[in-house]
Amino acid sequence: MAATMELGSDTDPRNATFSISDEDHTLGNSLRFVLNKDPRVAFCGYSVPHPSENRINVRVQTTGIPARDVLKDALNDLTAMNQHVMTTFDSAVERFKANQGMTELSMKSGVTSQHSGSVKKP
Amino acid sequence: MDGGMGAPPPEPVTYLCGDCGADNTLKPGDVIQCRECGYRILYKKRTRRIVQFEAR
Amino acid sequence: MATSDDEEPKLPAHLELQRTRVVCAADAPSYTESVQYSGAYMAYGVDNSLRLEDFRKNHRVDIVSLNEEDIEFDIVGIDAAIANAFRRILIAEVPTMAIEKVYIANNTSVIQDEVLAHRLGLLPIKADPRLFDYKSEEENANEKNTIVFKLDVVCTRKGERIMNGSVKSDQMKWLPEGSEMPFHTKSKFTSYGSTQENLAGISSEGITIMYPDIIVAKLRPGQAIELEGHATKGIGKTHAKWSPVATARYRMLPEVNLMEEIQGKLAEELVQKCPVGVFDIEDVGSVKKAKVARPRNCTLCRECVRGDGWDKRVQLSRVKNHFIFTIESTGALRPEILFTEAIKILNEKCQRILTEISF
Repeated sequence: MAATMELGSDTDPRNATFSISDEDHTLGNSLRFVLNKDPRVAFCGYSVPHPSENRINVRVQTTGIPARDVLKDALNDLTAMNQHVMTTFDSAVERFKANQGMTELSMKSGVTSQHSGSVKKP
Repeated sequence: MDGGMGAPPPEPVTYLCGDCGADNTLKPGDVIQCRECGYRILYKKRTRRIVQFEAR
Repeated sequence: MATSDDEEPKLPAHLELQRTRVVCAADAPSYTESVQYSGAYMAYGVDNSLRLEDFRKNHRVDIVSLNEEDIEFDIVGIDAAIANAFRRILIAEVPTMAIEKVYIANNTSVIQDEVLAHRLGLLPIKADPRLFDYKSEEENANEKNTIVFKLDVVCTRKGERIMNGSVKSDQMKWLPEGSEMPFHTKSKFTSYGSTQENLAGISSEGITIMYPDIIVAKLRPGQAIELEGHATKGIGKTHAKWSPVATARYRMLPEVNLMEEIQGKLAEELVQKCPVGVFDIEDVGSVKKAKVARPRNCTLCRECVRGDGWDKRVQLSRVKNHFIFTIESTGALRPEILFTEAIKILNEKCQRILTEISF
């Protein structure tokens, strides 16, 4: 049911407006951010034509490459960033759980070792 | 055309007394009065049909 | 090759400050916009574009605390647009199970039917939504898309005591075989092919309401409630009962800088001013100096820059690409799983658009 329409000119594929339905600021702002970071983009922006209608318009104007390709690259970049965030997050959770497990073990068994040995001066 | 309550015999309906809360079974044509305390205001019970609601 | 510069051209200090920090003065914050344009610093030879290897190098996640219900973690290197997208998805688009249809056979309590139904919809259900499918209006209710709960309570008086005066959420019984209504008919509201107890992934305790002590209704002797609640999968966008988080929020890492040495009485005054204990006194020789001990606690109340001349001594700012996320789950999914699901949903959105513009 959701359609993404590209409104542009047949002769000039560099500039186009992509009308994406069933989307809102969640994707619109993130996509605009990634598009802006692409050096081939001359202008980009997004808007929500009417708040009652669940649709965004993403405008892309490039320096020569067809706008559709730039948008595809931006989506792929966003996906790659997300993947990386996910793997970093998962490994951070693993690390934290492992650390937690170790501190619990040492707390249970190692309380008596606190007083052995010399007192360390700061 | 088709009567509403023609074929099935009218079920005996139980009403609740407003004062003592006792069940009173009444048939059409009975005097409207509680059998136990004589109070003349009787309430109808909630329907047994299953009502559907959306939890919104 | 030795040059007078570093390997990469760098921005001058004040521009670097504008690019990476939101400066929070006593009256208003400045430099709130994140500089996103790839060619913004072309004149200095600094490339502001997105380079994935640089992103991967600078990106970092540190978990601060994690338990069954909450998680607090730091995520460094992403922009506010992405952080906000994650927050929006966590609140509104990660699916959960919640009661949608309530079939009331009897309700003689003072709570109206629709109010009772509304309250039941808000009860958090301890079921993994990934094991279930969405159910549309026309589809039949089966064991893969509906969870059935039954509530059957009568309030009675046993001598002095009143039994079932408060109806709590642990009195909602899960029916793994499906609906029992309508009574006295062959076909029920749900058509389960098999019992839900054997559904892959269901824990041994079965499906329950997450918190057992939520008061759903109050009864007096003689009143009764008999109903069935059917729970389906949905997202927070449709109705807030399907939101999986109590809330999900983020804030940028606060930075507090002392622009000049603060000593003696001023230092003590500064430590007193801050309500969350950001500053500490350090005894250096005989002089008491103020230092910034716990900038992370700063809530930006701006007490330290209020008063005569203080805004020249203390500078409050926030780091634009360092976010402190806090996710409080209602219990259906663990908070770290919630965040992973949110990222997956953002990827699904991108994929959907990719397929749509590719043909």
